[in-house]
Amino acid sequence: MERISFVLASDSLEKLHAVGLMASVAAVSQMEVNVFVTMNAITAFRKSTVEKKGYRVEGEVGRHLLEKNGQMFYDLLQQGKMMGSLKVYACGMALELIGEGLDKYLPVFDEVLGVAGFLGKAEGGQVLFV
Amino acid sequence: MAQDASMKIDEIVDGRGLFCPGPLMELIKTIQLKPVGTVLSVLSTDEGSAKDIPAWIQKVGQEYVKTEKKDGYWEVIVKKVK
Repeated sequence: MERISFVLASDSLEKLHAVGLMASVAAVSQMEVNVFVTMNAITAFRKSTVEKKGYRVEGEVGRHLLEKNGQMFYDLLQQGKMMGSLKVYACGMALELIGEGLDKYLPVFDEVLGVAGFLGKAEGGQVLFV
Repeated sequence: MAQDASMKIDEIVDGRGLFCPGPLMELIKTIQLKPVGTVLSVLSTDEGSAKDIPAWIQKVGQEYVKTEKKDGYWEVIVKKVK
């Protein structure tokens, strides 16, 4: 299977959505997909952020995404996991810096990984940094 | 609605009003449950999705029949061959 891995480092709704979309479509297209959620991106997965829809919106398309009530990035990731091979990893360093455990975050993460772990998972495939 | 004489639609997947990747995802969920030989008609108001479906069909080895532009939406006809 073709492998593709995304490093999701941005908390912008537009970028979260783009990765959610690309990762889920790749997963249903029989690719092996990894998503490494790091830096500020992880804050978008916090349960309290999701409840309040407190995402950082960059511009026009982000505003439409919020208004439209379509599938959110985390729904797309869940869909990819159910329908294909998609793993979502939480960056250990980001969690440690924030000082929170995964219990405060949406249950979409398969594991907590560090960079070496992620590089191992991504080996041999494409890697996109978003 | 014009149809090829040989091509009877077995299942309609109405994805109108959904935006990408809605129609594609609905097709995938439906096609998984249907037997080989099923002909599906996917309806989409989203042009990107109308193009995505033939691309996905080709990638996974199913059969793409045709796309027709209707009044305000696209109809993409595909067949489950495996």
